[in-house]
Amino acid sequence: MDPQTQNTSLQRLQNVENRVVKVLELAGGVMEELASPSGPKKEFVNSHCREFMQSMKDIQVTLREEIKSACEYRPFEKCDYNARIANEICFQKLEYVLTQLDDLKQTADQYPSSD
Amino acid sequence: MDSDMEISLDRLPIKRLESIEENGAERFPSDVDYDDKRVSLIRRIDFAWALEEEDELKKKKQKKSSKDSVEQWKWKGMVENLQLAHQELTVIIDLIDTVQANDAVTVAGMTRPKPMPNEILSDLAVSTATKLQGYRNLGNYFKQSAKALEQKINREARFYGALIRLQRNWKVKRQRMLASNASNEGFTIDLSDSSLYDPTSGFRPSTLSTIRVDHDSAGMLAINVPQDSWYSLRFGYVGLNPIGNSNESDEHIDSTTGHDIPGTSEKQSASDDKYVKETHSLLREVHKSIFAEQLFDMLNREAFNEGVGFNISGLRENFMEMSIGQGASLFVSLHPSGKNPSIKKSESATLLIESSGRVEPAEGGDYRLKKLGFPNRTSYEIYLQQIFHEHAFGKAKDQLKSKSIRASNQTEKDSNSGLLDHFCLSLTHRIFSNRVLVHLESVVCKVPYLHLISHPTWNSRTSSWTVFMTVPPSIIPQGRSETQSPDGKRNLKTQFRTKVVVKDDCISVEAECTPNVVGLLKSSSCNLFSINKYECDVADLPVMILQQVCSFVS
Repeated sequence: MDPQTQNTSLQRLQNVENRVVKVLELAGGVMEELASPSGPKKEFVNSHCREFMQSMKDIQVTLREEIKSACEYRPFEKCDYNARIANEICFQKLEYVLTQLDDLKQTADQYPSSD
Repeated sequence: MDSDMEISLDRLPIKRLESIEENGAERFPSDVDYDDKRVSLIRRIDFAWALEEEDELKKKKQKKSSKDSVEQWKWKGMVENLQLAHQELTVIIDLIDTVQANDAVTVAGMTRPKPMPNEILSDLAVSTATKLQGYRNLGNYFKQSAKALEQKINREARFYGALIRLQRNWKVKRQRMLASNASNEGFTIDLSDSSLYDPTSGFRPSTLSTIRVDHDSAGMLAINVPQDSWYSLRFGYVGLNPIGNSNESDEHIDSTTGHDIPGTSEKQSASDDKYVKETHSLLREVHKSIFAEQLFDMLNREAFNEGVGFNISGLRENFMEMSIGQGASLFVSLHPSGKNPSIKKSESATLLIESSGRVEPAEGGDYRLKKLGFPNRTSYEIYLQQIFHEHAFGKAKDQLKSKSIRASNQTEKDSNSGLLDHFCLSLTHRIFSNRVLVHLESVVCKVPYLHLISHPTWNSRTSSWTVFMTVPPSIIPQGRSETQSPDGKRNLKTQFRTKVVVKDDCISVEAECTPNVVGLLKSSSCNLFSINKYECDVADLPVMILQQVCSFVS
């Protein structure tokens, strides 16, 4: 489960970053609307500001959760490098056994089948 | 002198000298009284303009004639008006200063003229326009930052995605550097295992154990490890196999190539996957190389302890040669892998032949190996790695467990673990037992009554076989080996077994005897021979087996 949650955690942080970008765009839009020569449209400004505040709240909630869950992860508690080397040795053994089996098969194929 | 002295005092003028001319004449300021001065200043205030306006209404005709010269410079009138205003202000300020200095009068305040409506509006318009301009600039700034941030996020998403995937398998550490390189956030991958370190043995971590994580040109994660810097372990028989064994780690690219394809996102993610896999393989190779270096280091230490099973015959940097019994000579070396891909390609034909061992042209080398009874070098390479890994790992485990119990009682007994000795003895034993097997096979070959079975012993220095002899019932003499079973059938003993056990290079033979010798029907071991020398075995082993066979029959 752990790699999955990590993956979605990364996705969630990615979402947060996209949200920040969106928030900036909203701010820019509102500013430009205020600067429009014919006066700002009220509902436009209102809706944008509402969306802005909502996004900020969401960002804050997500970040708080991520920070809390990030603190639970203690790195390098169990280092698996030894097991990794043992694994590499087993891999070499398997390769060797495979070559032996190939040899056996070839030897067996050399003899015609006795049907 | 009694007359009174008279002193007359002249009144000297108490005046400040205003100036002295060149000819010495002194000039004093004019003695103007304060009030006169005040009045004269007031007089300076020129109210001529008020009079002029009244005159203007009378003198319109005169003004008309001078209009053509008015349009020289449109601002000239404004400049003249400003200058006149400046003059009037100077006059009034002089008056105020004089009054202030002499009468101890402070100016209470100066009221601004009340702004007229059009002035108010124009001020408001100017400030509003400035604010709107400010808003527009701010809006532009926000939008630009949003775009730049989005690009940066996308770039970094690839980097951090790859880094997280690597982090699932490797230790990633971060060190906040002093921001001298802005592009490097100080990530490193740590391939060393601190639990295996024995500080008393003075083992220094390899230079490869910390690998820096860089960015490549497209902002993606890149790992730069120079091609020749990592090693692989080689083990072999001296003179019997050509240098260059198959190695699957040749073609690793050490940095990303051409990742700035502005293609679709699926294509990029697929190539990202491939890239992360390549990086992972590269890290695996480096990790294996660190282990190989540790192993070679341990071998070197062991080499200095006198062992029964081996003699060091050569020692170079990254190369160790030793001679063991049975006429075999081994070498163990650290070979830099990833060297010169071009040379590798030309050798690939020989590489394949070497590894597979079954292609006809290269049979010469293998045939010699088989003839000499040398076991396959790959299997012993693996065995060497395994025993050292288990030893190192077991030692680390013990250290962890016993750290609290005995802190300082650990002596240097760990340095002589005898593993190299054990390994060489195992190899010697294997060679010897291969020869024994050849002899046994030659005895048993083509004889239908004899069967040879080999038993696996889970000990690398012991081998055992059994020779079964099946005697046809017709030659067993009657009444010798009969037993009455409850149902009246005759149980004939028709199978006799001889067990051959080789430990290191000692052969011992156990065999069943016929009941004649001992008088029992059950099998019992009655012959136990110890043969220490191989030469005796050549002649004696077949003879022993034949002797047994005859004793069964007779």
